Order: sequence, then C-alpha cells, then structure tokens
Amino acid sequence: MISDITIGQYYSGNSVLHRMDARMKLILTFASIVAIFLCKNFFSLGLMVIFTVAATLLSCVPAKMVIKSLKPIIVILIFTAVLNIFYTTGGDTYFKWKFIEITEEGVNTAIFMAIRIVSLVVLSSLLTYTTTPTLLTDALERILSPLKVFKIKVHTLAMMMTLALRFIPTLIEEINRIMNAQKARGADLETGGIVARAKALIPIFIPLMISSFRRAYELAFAMTCRGYTGGEGRTRMKQMKLRVSDFIACAVVCALVGGIIALNIYFEAVI
Amino acid sequence: MTSAIEITGLSHYYNKGTPNEVAAIKNANLRIEKGELVAIIGHTGSGKSTLISHFNGLLKPDEGKVFVDGKDIWQSKESLRESRFKVGLCFQYPEYQLFEDTVFKDIAFGPKNMKLDDEEVKRRVLRAAQLAGVKPEHLDKSPFDLSGGEKRRAAIAGVMSMQPQVLVFDEPAAGLDPHARKQLIDMIKSYREQTGCTVIFVSHSMEDVAYLADRIIVINQAEIAMQGSVSEVFSRGDELTSMGLNVPEITRIFLMLREKGYDVPKDVYTVGQAVPHIKRLMEGGRAI
Amino acid sequence: MISGMIMDEKIIEFNNVTFMYDAEDEETGVVSAPAVKGITLAINRGEFMAVLGRNGSGKSTLAKLCNAIYEPYEGDVIVEGMNTREEENGDKIRRKVGMVFQNPDNQIVATIVEDDVAFGPENLGIEPKEIRRRVDEALKSVNMYEHRLRQPHNLSGGQKQRVAIAGVLAMQTDCIVLDEPTAMLDPVGRAEVLQTVKRLNKELGITVIMVTHFMDEAVEADRVVVMSSGEVVMDGTPQQVFSDIEKVRAYGLDVPQSTALCAALSIKENVLNAQQCVDVIDRICGGVK
Repeated sequence: MISDITIGQYYSGNSVLHRMDARMKLILTFASIVAIFLCKNFFSLGLMVIFTVAATLLSCVPAKMVIKSLKPIIVILIFTAVLNIFYTTGGDTYFKWKFIEITEEGVNTAIFMAIRIVSLVVLSSLLTYTTTPTLLTDALERILSPLKVFKIKVHTLAMMMTLALRFIPTLIEEINRIMNAQKARGADLETGGIVARAKALIPIFIPLMISSFRRAYELAFAMTCRGYTGGEGRTRMKQMKLRVSDFIACAVVCALVGGIIALNIYFEAVI
Repeated sequence: MTSAIEITGLSHYYNKGTPNEVAAIKNANLRIEKGELVAIIGHTGSGKSTLISHFNGLLKPDEGKVFVDGKDIWQSKESLRESRFKVGLCFQYPEYQLFEDTVFKDIAFGPKNMKLDDEEVKRRVLRAAQLAGVKPEHLDKSPFDLSGGEKRRAAIAGVMSMQPQVLVFDEPAAGLDPHARKQLIDMIKSYREQTGCTVIFVSHSMEDVAYLADRIIVINQAEIAMQGSVSEVFSRGDELTSMGLNVPEITRIFLMLREKGYDVPKDVYTVGQAVPHIKRLMEGGRAI
Repeated sequence: MISGMIMDEKIIEFNNVTFMYDAEDEETGVVSAPAVKGITLAINRGEFMAVLGRNGSGKSTLAKLCNAIYEPYEGDVIVEGMNTREEENGDKIRRKVGMVFQNPDNQIVATIVEDDVAFGPENLGIEPKEIRRRVDEALKSVNMYEHRLRQPHNLSGGQKQRVAIAGVLAMQTDCIVLDEPTAMLDPVGRAEVLQTVKRLNKELGITVIMVTHFMDEAVEADRVVVMSSGEVVMDGTPQQVFSDIEKVRAYGLDVPQSTALCAALSIKENVLNAQQCVDVIDRICGGVK
C-alpha cells in the first residue's frame, strides 16, 4: 500500500542532521556510502556500523521508521545472503551435504554483505528523512551546477526530479483507483499466466497514461501561469549556507574514512 | 425475501496493528432491500467510500460479514467473484477508467469478463447504452472523442452492462454543470424505474438526495449515524449541520420559519412541496 | 459593493475577442466552432465577477485568455494597458493576473506546502527574504500557515486549493482568475475556498474572476456573467441575472432554490438565499401573532 513507501519521505524535525546544509549532507552521505565499500574486515565494518548508529541517533528519526525503510529490501537482503552462503567457498567447512557446502568464508561474506546493504539503505534513508525533497534537489542542482559548462541542463534535471517526487504519491493513488474501478468490472488481475496478466494490465495502463498526460499538460500550464520560464533568473527562498557544524560533520566523515583505511591495514582482510 | 445487501458488525481499519491504526468504518449494521433507492451521505473521510467498497468485496472486512442476496461474499472465491457481478460499483469520475478504442468495446469489458457469449454481450451492451443514455451513433466512436458528460455516460454504461442486481454510484454527478447534472440524476431515476434494480448512491448534493432517494444512510466519523426516510433524516437538520452536512435549501428555509414560530412542517425539501405551505401562510390561514 | 474603492477603473478588457482551439489541441476533439466569439467585456478593478455557463460554453477559455496563456484569434485582450498578443508582455501580465485551476493536484509543484507557495516569487526573481515574508503572509491569509511544512498529498482538497491560492497571492498579483476551483471539492472544501476568495476580494481588494457551476457561489459575487455557445448572454448583478429564471434555465443553469420558491409564489422581490427568503416571507405574513 501507499504508506509502505518511505524512501523519499521527509520526517519533519529539528535535529542536528535536519539543520545541516543539504549540499554537505548529500556529499557526506555519498562519501560514507563509499566508505562502506572500503571496509575489508569486521573491525573497519564495526566502525562503520557505529557511525551509522550514531548518525541515526543524531537524526532523532524514530528507530521504527528507519527499520521500516528496510522493508522493501528484505527480499534482496535474503537473496544475496543465501547466494553468498552457498556460492562463496573457502576456509573451514561448517556443513556439507551432497553438492551443498557452507564454509567459513561463505558465512563471513554473507554477513558482511548484509551489513553493508543495511548500512547503505539506512544512511541514504537518513538523508531523505532529514532533508526535504525540495532542498535535496536544490542541493543536487547546486552541486552539479559546474556541469553547466558542458551544456548539461542541471536545472531542468533537478526540476524533473522534484516533480517526479511530488507526483509519486498522486500516481500511486491514481493506480489504486483505476485498479479498483476495473476490478469492479470483473477484471481479473491476479490469476493466469504471464501473457494473460500482461494483457490484464492494459485496462489499467491506458487510463493511467491518459491521465498522466492530462496532468502533465495541466501542470505545464499552471507552471507557466506562475511565471516559470526555466532556471534563468530564478531566486530561492531557502538559502544554503555552510556553518561550523557542517565542517565538523565533514571532519567526522574524513576521520571515519581514515579510521577504516587504518583498520583495513592493521587487521587481516576477510573479504 | 433476502435483502439485496446486508452488513453485520462490519469494521475496517487502516494501518491495522500499528500505532497509527484508524477505523475507517466501525461496527456498521445495515440492510438494503431489493428495489430500494438509498442515498449515503457523510462528509469527506467519514468512511462512505470504505463502506461501499465492501459491497462488492473490493475491501475485505476486518470484522463482520457482508451478505449479497443472502450469501456471505467471503465464503469462497466463487462467491466473491459472483459479488463483483451482482453489485456494480461506479466510482467517482468513472470516465477515467475508459480504455478501449471504441465505446462499444469499453461497455463490453464487464460482460466479457463474465465469460458471456458474443450474442449476449452485444445484447447487454445495447441495453446498457440505452439505459445510460449513450447515443447509438457514439458506440463505434473512440470514448476519448466524446464530451465530458458523454464519457461519463459511456463509463456508467460499462457498469450497467454487467446487469448487476445492485448498482452503486459514488458521486455520480460530480463536476457536471447543472443541466448535465439534472439529466444524469434523471437517468438514474429512470434506470431504477425501468429495471427495478436496487440503487445506492453517495452524494454531497442534498437537493439530489431529496429528489432521488427513498431512504438515507448518514455516515459520520466511521459510524452509521442515522438511517431513515428522507423526511426523517432531513427533519434533523441541526444534527446534520453538526456533522458538516447540509439540508436542502428549502428544508433550511422551513426550519428557519419554524424557529420564527410559523407552523410549517419540517420535512419539506423540494420547491414543489414548499409552495402550498407558504401560500397557506401568506393567505393568513395560519393555524397555531 | 466595495466601499472606498474606485470601481470604474478597468483591469482587464476584452474587445471583440474570438478564440478557437486548433485540431490537435483540444481533448474533446470537437474543434470546428470557436470556443469564444465576439466577446466584449470589461472587468473593473476590485470587482468579484462570477462566470457561469454549461460545460463547453467557453467560460474556461475566457479565463485562460485573461493572462496571455491563450492568444485571441481575433480582437484584443488588454490587461492593465498591456495587449496579451505581444509576446514580451506575457511575463508582465502573469505578474498581474494569477490563475487557480480546477484540479488542485495538477498545479502544486513542490513536495512541501511552503516551498510550493514560494515557487511563483522564486520564478520572478524576488529577494529570498522578501519571498519568505510573502510566503508567510500568503499562507496566513488563506489560513494555511500552520500547515506550511506538510506535504500537499496529505491535505484535503479544500486545503490544496487554498495552497494554490496562496501561491498566487505570494506573487502579489492584482487579479486572480479561478477556473472552477470548487468543482472537485466537497461542501466543506467549497465553503473554505469561497470564504477565502471573498475575503481576499473584500479585504485585500484583489479583483476576482471565478468560473463556477454552483449558483450558491455565484450569488456571492458582485457581478455575474453567463456564457452560452462562446458568447456572453447575461451580465449583471446576481439579483438582475437570477430574477430572469426562465432565461437562466434556458441556458442550462439553475437558480438557487430560494429564488425559485419566491418566483413560484409570484413574490416580485429578488431573493438569493435562505435568509433573504425567510425575511421576505416573514414580512409578507406580518410575523407570527
């Protein structure tokens, strides 16, 4: 249902993370995601986990919401874990039956990958929980603005992202509405083979396309009426300013990366 | 005789099992007899839409039972599917569900899903088109070439063609101009007269409710707040107002006159009914 | 009427305006007839004008001609002295005349209420501090200030429309054109929007042009214009327009029940709502003895 989609949903609050400059947050989130993949052993990974937990606590976003953001990836999580357990071999063998073999390295990799994926999702959801989509696209636009030199329409891209985020809930509602209307006319969306099911989607897809085009047309109209002519000459209500806390955060992430590298060198790699 | 629809102890919750759990409808009991024309009124978010989505099993009750024509619709897969065809549900702005390349094919979508033979499908499409007021020359046109009001009729015909025993409309006249609105309401009236089917409709327009309905069900804050004949319900104007609802303007005038001490009934809701009463007052035949 | 305001200054003028949609443009597909033809109409500053008419009567087109989105096929539309035909006037005109549309979902751009209200002034290149001030003020005047950090898709229809109105207010336009703003709303939402519009007109002196299907909204206006087949067929105060019940009905519209009741009783007075109706009946009957 609609309420399950939490990625891209802002949790209003006034924590340290909420107040951070969106540009810095975006860059630091990216940096710490890179850091996740730098981890080579459980010590550096442990440091990463501590960082992730600390960031979550600082954000003041309820743990339940953070856990909820993991729900959509449970399948991927289990899938990769199972794959890793069975396909990675090496080290001691814990279990062996016919061609199935579970080894130390397999288990390690499985755990390692699971923790990586979870930290990745948690960190990126923290970004979207603590930053309004408008600020986020704004930040992206500003960070990427040097690309204008290469004739890349950064503003247009950012505006497209904003509009996409804005219309996701509206379109989901619309899909539900159309599905219910067709089900009420006896449309069978649940049974049948792939072909039958694909065919059953036509009565949903066509009205959705038509209404989306109508929306796009009306939206373009409304934007023109509100004086929108593209990125040129636009100002912003919300200014972005780097503050001391942003530089502290930057230092923390640098320290994190340094720490991870040091631990990688000091201890033996498991992956 | 079995009721067209009977609902006992029906509750439906959103976000069930979480702290955000809200009842969309709770402990609803109602019975709609065959051939009745019932209006459901209530402010937005009162639970009207949740309630009507239970009539054909689009939503599954968390508690309670739904009987269509005496049969528990959640008893088996077959009974559920049967309920979809017995109870036709026509949502708000139904024209947004049109998808086929001709009006005829679109109206035929429901009957085709019922796995009827081509002859029967055709018969039903023509009958539904006639009942809904779709012009015969429109049947071979693309539904997207019709005007707003014509699209609405084509979409309604698409539900009527299943020949449901019960036809449910959610805000059938929303967004139409007064003339088209009147025509659509008259179409629903004549549909009931011609087919004798049960009709349930949700509306915000008290004038339409007064004109069409035999009986009114009032939903307020997820509960059935009132049920009764049109005059019974409208005579409780103050309670309706406190629920964010209205009474027809004529009823309001009569309630205001009563407050001033005039001896007029409180169950008057059309101009036609009102005229003789006011005439009597003006001629001084005011009995106290 | 509005006190202390000069009503005879014309803010928008239509001079013999004809407009047609081209073949691929219109969703109804019917294209041959002009959507509006030969319209001459002047809207006065500070006026609250309601435009009534059946679907396809041209009332929406009339609204869209007001801020240079559509260019007349024949004739001229003059907004505060600027002709909408001249391309360089487009932006200037849209700073004078704002628009609110029927579907609240399709005009809200941002994912947070206050960011959406800021969209217009941002496009105009206003100073950030000034935008903040205007946004707060606009949200307060539509009573949505406490909802400024919410997401639009969690608001009711009436609230969304008020956000859209705030978006126009923040651009500080002189005139606001609303194209069936209440068509998709429930009675509570309709009342919210109508109250807001009336207040903006009376308190801030903003000129309002409101296209609607609802007679009870039209009676609140200073002036009612009825359109049929692309032409203005009636124009006057609500009292004047609704007194001719036969004519109004002939154009596919209706009159308020109170008006219809008084007409059925051959009461000559112009009655537009329940209160007036009760007063008139009470007076004729001489009160309860």
